[in-house]
Amino acid sequence: MNLLWDRWTDFPDYIVGITREIWEDRGIETLNRYYAPDIPVRTPMGVSVGNKATMAATMGTLAEFPDRELMAEDVIWCGDPAAGFLSSHRILSTGTHTHDGVFGPATGRRFAIRVIADCAARDGVIDDEWMVRDYGGIARQLGQDPRDVARALIAAEGGASRAKRPFTPEADIPGPYSGTGNANPWGTRYAETLTRIMATDFTHVLRHYDRAAIAVWPGAQTLIGSRAISEAWLRLRSAFPSARFAIHHTIGMEGGLMPPRAAIRWSLTGTHDGWGAFGRPTGAPVHVMGISHAEYGPYGPGGIGLRREFVLFDEVAIWKHILLHTGETE
Amino acid sequence: MKGFAPHWRDVPDYIIGVTREIWENRRIGSLRHYYAPGLIVRSPASVVVDNSNVIAATMATLAEFPDRELPGEDVIWCEDPARSTPDSAAFLSSHRLICWATHTRPGVYGAPTGKRLRYRILADCAIKDDRIDDEWLVRDQSAIVAQLGFDLVDWTRDLITREGGPEACVQPMTPLNDVPGPYTGRGNDNPWGAQLADALSAVMRADFDVIPRHWDRAAMLFLPGGQNGHGHADADQFWMGLRAAFPHAEFTIHHVIGREDPLLPPRAAVRWSLWGKHAGWGRFGRPTQAQVFVMGITHAEFGPYGPGGAPAIRNEFTLIDETAIWKQILLTTGGAE
Repeated sequence: MNLLWDRWTDFPDYIVGITREIWEDRGIETLNRYYAPDIPVRTPMGVSVGNKATMAATMGTLAEFPDRELMAEDVIWCGDPAAGFLSSHRILSTGTHTHDGVFGPATGRRFAIRVIADCAARDGVIDDEWMVRDYGGIARQLGQDPRDVARALIAAEGGASRAKRPFTPEADIPGPYSGTGNANPWGTRYAETLTRIMATDFTHVLRHYDRAAIAVWPGAQTLIGSRAISEAWLRLRSAFPSARFAIHHTIGMEGGLMPPRAAIRWSLTGTHDGWGAFGRPTGAPVHVMGISHAEYGPYGPGGIGLRREFVLFDEVAIWKHILLHTGETE
Repeated sequence: MKGFAPHWRDVPDYIIGVTREIWENRRIGSLRHYYAPGLIVRSPASVVVDNSNVIAATMATLAEFPDRELPGEDVIWCEDPARSTPDSAAFLSSHRLICWATHTRPGVYGAPTGKRLRYRILADCAIKDDRIDDEWLVRDQSAIVAQLGFDLVDWTRDLITREGGPEACVQPMTPLNDVPGPYTGRGNDNPWGAQLADALSAVMRADFDVIPRHWDRAAMLFLPGGQNGHGHADADQFWMGLRAAFPHAEFTIHHVIGREDPLLPPRAAVRWSLWGKHAGWGRFGRPTQAQVFVMGITHAEFGPYGPGGAPAIRNEFTLIDETAIWKQILLTTGGAE
């Protein structure tokens, strides 16, 4: 490890530490040091190169929610110094809407949402990134509807013809990281679960999740029980029944005071052609960027059950795809 | 599991299995086997003695909520060497469970509302000879009342009336009406139990700086009233609000278990109480000087993300019964009328 690495005890410590330095201790300029200048940053809202867009967005967020806190919940990671690391970092983000901004006039309401950032790092520098935040969770907690927020966003960006396009695979910019994760069996297990769910085997959830599993779902919803979780996956899949499901990155981990766990980055690419979580089918072409984390426990068939699940996709970005297609942007 | 039916693999299997048999498979009569004849079930709302009364209460609940389901979330248990005999091992199980039910029939909660309920229960059961022979249970009553659409204080006042008024109503549990049972254990010596007991004791000494030291910054909190919270600020607010209402009450730790098990994070179960005057502004409004007993159970799961990499509480599940607390306050102030 080089000098930059040496400040940190291990890779998770580095990820948690620099997140705190950059975003909470207001060292926004240190982004320039910790992030490669030409880093591709992909979010469901689009892809950008370098940190200028991220820095501007961060300052906007801090202006609207000055007490915003970012608390590390977990770092699920793989890799080594030679090949490079990939960290899937789950963050609890909280704040109070005390100033006017993207979400309109200040409401004084508080939000608490999850964000997951997959960051590739080499030689102490982050050089590739995928990030999903629960934009719909902020909207709902501020008393707004994710669909209305998407419509307002399109209007603020100059209307349907000029608004920034949400992320699609065609718009992707390749970065230096080409890994697909590790071969740990907990990652493989969760990948198989998501594959089965997306193949419409929703009974799999009832069988292989802990009956009393807790899931945190987009919209800042806490679901309890395998039945509620199965229904939530069904509502997502049924909105995009013919979309192609792909798994991009899989990590499994065990040990260190934590239950066995997994992190998976996945996507659905296709058409909004079913009734489900996004209302009336519109035929809109849609790309859903998803990252989810799972923790396992002993309560399930054969002594293994999925006990905690954190699922992230961006409802506002999905509505943006849909509204840009239907033209219902006024 | 010496002394237990051979098909039970371990304590969690027994506790989760017996719960399923009774509540979901409707073998309520099996309580005559699984509950010892003189069983004492203490909850904040009452002290119920004898399994015939427990069976009656079970049927009343199922009559009101016929589709009740009780999936287990966790069983944190310890050995009970003092009561083990050559014929049977003995244990104490602290069981955390979710309850789902639809309020489809009239009963203690009034006319059916059709509301779908979701709440937690924490139940400490002493087990020996294939049966439960001592129990302490905290149900999240304020979550039930809120989900049925009632105001907590109004509902409790009505409950006193429905039960026949201040004199005749069921008396909440206090040290004065508690009945000693066969289990006298204090738990085990595992350090995770001690860590949770120490953290709760510090909070109750008003050393609130223990929260940033012993709770994960991003801790998930599952609190009474079905309220979920996050992190230091919400933990501080809950514990401060409780202690502030009973600032001089005597805090007692009754039972402490710590465990490390495969596939699970280190975890702990602590049963505790506050006994004293409602003498401060806090979670229960204007101080009334009512003498109140608060029975609480807390489960915690630990993780590696404390300050400086020290272990910290990552998930906390705490239950008290707020209807039982309001009942004690209303019975004292005469606000029950």
